[in-house]
Amino acid sequence: MAESKIVLPDLPGAEYAPEPPPQGPVVWMKENLFSTPFSVILTIIGGLIAVVSLRGIFGFVANPERIWQAVTTNLRLLMVQAYPDQHMWRVWVSIGVVVVLTALSLAAWRVGGRTSGRKLTGNVMALGGLLAIIGLVADFPFEMNVTWAGIGLALAGLGYMIRRMMGERAKAENIPVLAVAGGLLIGLVASLWVLQVPVPDPDSGIRAATTELLANTTRIPWLLLLITGFVAYGIGIAIRDWKPSRPLLVAGWALSYPVIFLHILRGTRMNNLSEYLLIGLAFLVAGAAIIYALVNLDIGESGRLISGILLIAALVTWATPVLIIIRLLLLILAVFALAAPTFGGSGGSKYRYMGIYAGTVVVMVYLMLLATGTSAVQTQSAVPFGGFMITWLLAIGAVALSFPIGVVLALARTSSLPLFRVMATVYIELVRGVPLITWLLMSVVVFPFLFPEGVEFEDVVKVLLFFTFFSAAYLAENVRGGLQAVSKGQAEASNALGMSTMQRTAFITLPQALRAVIPALVGQVIATFKDTSLVAIVGLFDILLIAKNVVPNQSQPFNFLGSIKENLVVVALVYWIFTFIFSRVSQRIERNLGVGER
Amino acid sequence: MAIAQQQRPPIWRNATVLKWGAQIAVFVGLVFLFVTLGAQSLDNFAQRGLSYSYRFLSDPTGFVVREGIAFQPDTGARALYVGLVNTLRITISGIIVATILGTIIGVARLSHNWIVNKIATVYIEVIRNIPLLVQIIFWGAIIQQLKALTDDHIGSYTFWFTSAKGITIPWLFPTATFYQWLVWVIIGAIATRYVYRWRMRVKEATGNETYALSWAFGTFFLFGLIGWFAYPLWSWLGPILGWIGDVIGSIPALAVRLVLLGLVIAGVGAFASRFFSNLRAGDNPQLNNSVIFGMFAVALVLALAVFGGFLAIAGGIEGAGGWLAFALIVAGVAFALKLLIDYVAPRTLVSGLVDDDYFRVIFAVLLGVVFSGLFFGVDVIGETIVKLFSAFFHFLEPKFDGSNTGAPFRYAPPAVEVRGAGFVQLSSESLVITPGFFALWIAVTLYTASFIAEIVRGGILAVSRGQSEAGNALGLSRFQLYRFIVLPQAFRIVLPPIGNQYLNLFKNTSLGIAVAFSDIVQVGQTLYNQTGQTVPVVSLWMAFYLSGSLILSSIVNFANRRLKLVER
Amino acid sequence: MAIGENDIIVCEGVKKWFGDFQALTGVTTNVKEREVVVVIGPSGSGKSTFIRCINRLEQHQEGVIAVDGVEMTNDLRNIEQIRSEVGMVFQQFNLFPHLTILDNITLAPIWVRKRPKDEAEELAMGLLQRVGIPEQANKYPGQLSGGQQQRVAIARALAMEPKIMLFDEPTSALDPEMIKEVLDVMKELAESGMTMVVVTHEMGFAREVADRVLFFDYGTIVEEGTPEHFFTNPQHDRTKLFLSQIL
Repeated sequence: MAESKIVLPDLPGAEYAPEPPPQGPVVWMKENLFSTPFSVILTIIGGLIAVVSLRGIFGFVANPERIWQAVTTNLRLLMVQAYPDQHMWRVWVSIGVVVVLTALSLAAWRVGGRTSGRKLTGNVMALGGLLAIIGLVADFPFEMNVTWAGIGLALAGLGYMIRRMMGERAKAENIPVLAVAGGLLIGLVASLWVLQVPVPDPDSGIRAATTELLANTTRIPWLLLLITGFVAYGIGIAIRDWKPSRPLLVAGWALSYPVIFLHILRGTRMNNLSEYLLIGLAFLVAGAAIIYALVNLDIGESGRLISGILLIAALVTWATPVLIIIRLLLLILAVFALAAPTFGGSGGSKYRYMGIYAGTVVVMVYLMLLATGTSAVQTQSAVPFGGFMITWLLAIGAVALSFPIGVVLALARTSSLPLFRVMATVYIELVRGVPLITWLLMSVVVFPFLFPEGVEFEDVVKVLLFFTFFSAAYLAENVRGGLQAVSKGQAEASNALGMSTMQRTAFITLPQALRAVIPALVGQVIATFKDTSLVAIVGLFDILLIAKNVVPNQSQPFNFLGSIKENLVVVALVYWIFTFIFSRVSQRIERNLGVGER
Repeated sequence: MAIAQQQRPPIWRNATVLKWGAQIAVFVGLVFLFVTLGAQSLDNFAQRGLSYSYRFLSDPTGFVVREGIAFQPDTGARALYVGLVNTLRITISGIIVATILGTIIGVARLSHNWIVNKIATVYIEVIRNIPLLVQIIFWGAIIQQLKALTDDHIGSYTFWFTSAKGITIPWLFPTATFYQWLVWVIIGAIATRYVYRWRMRVKEATGNETYALSWAFGTFFLFGLIGWFAYPLWSWLGPILGWIGDVIGSIPALAVRLVLLGLVIAGVGAFASRFFSNLRAGDNPQLNNSVIFGMFAVALVLALAVFGGFLAIAGGIEGAGGWLAFALIVAGVAFALKLLIDYVAPRTLVSGLVDDDYFRVIFAVLLGVVFSGLFFGVDVIGETIVKLFSAFFHFLEPKFDGSNTGAPFRYAPPAVEVRGAGFVQLSSESLVITPGFFALWIAVTLYTASFIAEIVRGGILAVSRGQSEAGNALGLSRFQLYRFIVLPQAFRIVLPPIGNQYLNLFKNTSLGIAVAFSDIVQVGQTLYNQTGQTVPVVSLWMAFYLSGSLILSSIVNFANRRLKLVER
Repeated sequence: MAIGENDIIVCEGVKKWFGDFQALTGVTTNVKEREVVVVIGPSGSGKSTFIRCINRLEQHQEGVIAVDGVEMTNDLRNIEQIRSEVGMVFQQFNLFPHLTILDNITLAPIWVRKRPKDEAEELAMGLLQRVGIPEQANKYPGQLSGGQQQRVAIARALAMEPKIMLFDEPTSALDPEMIKEVLDVMKELAESGMTMVVVTHEMGFAREVADRVLFFDYGTIVEEGTPEHFFTNPQHDRTKLFLSQIL
């Protein structure tokens, strides 16, 4: 049925395959560049294209007309827009949270294979070779050509020397990839103490007046972050055998978004603390009692009746002037009550179910405290997010919020209930058939009209909502693919075991479907991340709009007029780095799934 | 052991009742939500002294569209149409080039030649991972910084001329006689098909080489050549086309509305009858009729209830009329349910109709009621259809009269000239690619090509893994393997995802708004900025994009089905 | 047909259509408690559809099916009750690939029967012992051979403590060497007094274990009888033809 990972058996007679005979560069070129006359032609054309593109690209970069200082001086503007100085520590703390979670997760999931000295030195040599070629062909000033070529050749030589020194040992795959990555990070942070960039003179506005460290103000925080990361990884290794560590980390990741964006970065002051805590407590006690009663097997239909009444009551509150938190908590309680006979068993699972309810209530109270709080960070706009920060806010927020909606839509679309199917299909096709930009324009010009006077949304919130609705439709299609991949036999087996529809979906169908679509879901994250650039069109100051409209129009104190191309190149680079990393992660997951538990 | 007989379980335990109860509850909730939001938006609009209306379509506009088939459209509809044509232009040209480029790169990605392989890889990884909008704006910035036009540039050019105002290239424009020539070409295409088939038949019969492809090309070329000189032979078509246009124009709108109504009813009937034909209480034919009667009764009562609902909503549930309508709905739904449970369900259960069948019939009748109401109640629809058809024939009429002379194409070299109030411009006689068009087109094409390349690569890999072994075992050469085994199968695999990319390209052209390309979105935005009619404009966008997506995907689906049939 | 005192499954005139195709054309039979009924017949004869109707994996459209005195209707409570009393084993095993063997077996007892987890695990280990593979408890289905998977599937069905077990061609997807290990488990089960309805092509099993053999064709029971009677002295021509082709 399924293939398990092939492991070389520890049997006598089992051998590693013989090494292929060593190839000289001439043989390699003959095989890979000049194998047939057609291949020769291709090589010539390809070589020309490569040389012309390299010359073009690096000529563009090194052209003295380029105003790269427009970017280096405005890095902070591009990243966080007008986030106030005295609050910058919040940004660093946020990055710190992500770093800690990443390090812990790397340890907990035992990420990282091993690589060989041969591969590593090969990479160093390839990099050196690339630099040398660029040095040789690029349209640089002459000294720069020499420098690049020199550095490249030196790197290549270094790689070759190391490989020679390691000799046979170079073949063994014994170098942890994470150690290499850690080393690179150390090198990167160390370089912040060395890298100099020209800076304009603030008084005269003359460009390239002096030089100064690129990371003038940020090198200390980056160093601290690096140390934090290493420490967290160490802690992660210490606790990774502790069983709940992985679920806790997952919960940590899920909570990191509201904690970072709503709590830390927004510096929320919780105005309704005592009131909301009281309400939350009441719901905890009352809800626990109700659920405790409903879980009881013998209660039968009257249980369903009670939870039905609860649901109706919860819905009715939406038409009455009640605090939103009460409406939401009542809704949660009703849903938990409805599902109680299905998921709350006797014994241990009963208390676990009540525990999940309590957790949901606590999180909801926390979120509502954040949502109703006021921001301590004052900027021109009411929401203190801008630049690259807003890109992340929207991308992660949209995917996280759209995930449950998308799953529900996918379930509805594959449901056996025709009306649900039609509603889901109409929604999905309507959203997917129309370009995102028209939805975003609608979020600005139509959406505000749908609410009575007095109800107003921040631009970011409107855009986030529409991103969520949009992304949900695409996500639903991905999840649907996964649901259809789960064989019919699985559903039949669970029916034959007497599971209810909800149980079947939660325990059998969805876990398998979601596992199958993880790569597609990462693809969705990438797509949403790229799509967030569209907010520039509706006037949110994300990194693209700042790069396109703000920096190239600066004339005071420095003259950066017309530096749009430089800015765009850097923006493209920033986007590229993250999407590239995402797509590599996705490919890795895809490979790992192939050898997983199937 | 006796069976606990329990014919009808209590409703809260009846699986069918629960299923439908939940569905209808959610549906009604959603409808309620939308109605509330819609009513609120009407209110808010009214407070600004506005009401939704499509009048801007026929009102004169005061703005200039930067490019397209008209620069100063006289009405809103015309302006939107100009934008629509621009969108389609960029979509079609983009699709063609992106397909070719993407296929080349996808194949290059599989090349054994190291340098070609690496170039393709770098291209894909770079282009795919940068947001399209950044790329569009980047290309826009590049073209902005090309040379500005001065008096020195005035003149004509052989190949191309680039400037910050756009790029101009040589082009063949169809002239007034083009349409008459086209008739020859169409006849030629039909003739080519038959000639090709005939030569292929001869080949199959005799086994000799018949040069079928050369024959086909020859035939087509011959007709093109004949047409080049013989086009006036079709000039008699003009008056006939004009007459047809007149006849269509004189059709009363009522007739059109009746025809549309008939079509809707026929459609619903045909759809519903498919399910009735499934009825199989063969030994009791009377059951059939009663079931059909019952189903239709249920459907009709429900339809009436919905109509009552519309009335109630339209009037706002206030006053006696509103409550009457409301009561009608409740009564209607209750009556329909009663019919269903007492009369139809016991019979259809036997005959094997499932829930979905009921639902489809009821749904079809409801849709039928809505559409017939729309077609019959909104007279603009009928009028517009008549007008459009009539205009189409009147558009063709002058193309086919004898007064047209000259070649069917006009060659226009790139040129720079002084126009208007002494401004140096690219000559509008030749093909001018505006900066917006250029930036959007190149970015969208390169972007889509990178995705198509990955699809092509995946498709070829997916086939060749298993099949090339079989092909090799048969002793096919590498070329034969690709030509006969891999590519035909790969094409089938890649067609649906590539169709998806076409749809993405189509929708992505809306990003032209960032470089001021006058597509339908940009024109629409200008329109609602002028008139405040946001919702109507948005509804037109949606109608356009949805029908465009629908048409594109049905073309792809059609191709897909054809391929599947051929394969079997 | 009269309903006997011991009849645990009662079927009367059961009919079922798939679109235009009538899969069951009126099946009438009763199964007694502790009886082992083997259903044989050519493919497409409706035998699988028949046993799938018994626990409502397919919905019959006409006729009466009652299990342990409960009639199969739209009543949710009846459906729940019947499903939890009837265990089923499939041709393709249908184990849950994302769960370990132990979780596969304990899932339903914990969530449907609401048993405490440790009790369910104890039960599961006992069942794995019974089907002879207790050492595989923490593996995933993909790591097991077909025969082992099918035995797990039997254990999984037994964990719900059903009164009746349905087997839908349980050995058809297995390699010949694995068929025996599954049949042995089924024999042991039959000897322990379980009521069983088995669709199979294993005539040896039918002859040895069955109390009664039903021969299906054209969506109905063409002939039924004890194994000796059925295999040595078939009455119906269709049965004779079928037996001559497979024996």
